[in-house]
Amino acid sequence: MNFTNQKPHFEHLKRKWKTKAEKAESNLWDKHGRHLKQLALGSLGGLMLLASPSQAVLHPINQQVSRDDALKNYDRSVLLADKLKNIVPGEARSLNPDEENQITKTLSSVFGFRVMAEIDDVRLNRNFGFIGGEQHLYRYPGDNVYAHTDTSSDWAMYGTAGIASGLGAWGYFAPSKESFKDKDKMREKYYLAIQTFLVPGFAENFARLRDFFKYRKMIVVNPHSGQAVVAEIGDVGPSEWTGKHLGGSPEVMEALGLATGPQKGEVLYFFIDDPEDEIQLGPVKTKVEL
Amino acid sequence: MSKVTFYNHLVEMDSIIIELDKTDLSFTEKKHLITLAEKNLHNTILDAILSKLSDSDKRAFITKVTFEENERIWIFLNQKVDKAEEKIKKIIDDLKKELHEDIKEAHIIKKKK
Repeated sequence: MNFTNQKPHFEHLKRKWKTKAEKAESNLWDKHGRHLKQLALGSLGGLMLLASPSQAVLHPINQQVSRDDALKNYDRSVLLADKLKNIVPGEARSLNPDEENQITKTLSSVFGFRVMAEIDDVRLNRNFGFIGGEQHLYRYPGDNVYAHTDTSSDWAMYGTAGIASGLGAWGYFAPSKESFKDKDKMREKYYLAIQTFLVPGFAENFARLRDFFKYRKMIVVNPHSGQAVVAEIGDVGPSEWTGKHLGGSPEVMEALGLATGPQKGEVLYFFIDDPEDEIQLGPVKTKVEL
Repeated sequence: MSKVTFYNHLVEMDSIIIELDKTDLSFTEKKHLITLAEKNLHNTILDAILSKLSDSDKRAFITKVTFEENERIWIFLNQKVDKAEEKIKKIIDDLKKELHEDIKEAHIIKKKK
């Protein structure tokens, strides 16, 4: 029996446009797959967003790529998030010594530097809590918020956060505009506000702890996305009543994927042992395959 | 477009839909074809943009697309890609021209039937 196609013109267009769409898609993934994988942050929703602008997706994503296959190709951040899922508590609370040990070990091994909950007998009141977005800080006398961004796209992303009316806990980052260096610029860009006043024995050891915390290098990790940033303590806060446990500069929040919406989210935060000051400030990726 | 994208204002698919209307297709068949065309367009535009960005800019761009930060995307693109809007418009126009050619072929096949 011969079967005759009732609408060969439709079949022709369907076949041709399907081939073109598939070719465009594989071309995109072949050339930029490494970067596109970040869309898989935690779920396949991001992949769908990119796969097609249409809500009537012809090939549901689960037919294009199985979850197992997708996991193999996930961005390393996502793999870190997946790994942390098993050792980080379901809600932001103080970590017990076992959890703390497991997490710092994991972070040290994946980032390639020593991540520690305690240095020189000093530890924070907690290492897992809510971070909130902070404003920019004055860096030198006469500084203004417009000077904090170099391009209009930087301004659109970070400028609108504004600038705090008071100085950071350590005063200006440089005594004058002339003496303001790149290092100072990076310090303000990637600064944290930490509740140092809640550290056990703070009042009794004020001078020692003040010096210890000044520009102390830390790593902050969003356990849900695996995004991480190296930053320094540039301010003290936030107040306990805010319900937040630390604050991050606009750039820190962006690096953690928390710059939009309520600008608040759960993070892990630990000291970095970097006596030679070798570790760069800014977003950081895992160094090893997970 | 079925979904709001950052380049929505540059795309006009009406002429394609009008041509498809002339080919005796059901609503479902037309919807199917338009979906394919949009998918092709979307991936082609993303490829063209990503090809012009540095690695770190690619990441920033993809993040913005993921979270549909359409206004920020344009601020970003205008900063990073010379005549971004013009280039995207050209990609759309070229692709639409191709689609019109394909529809013409379909018309010929239909007449032969």
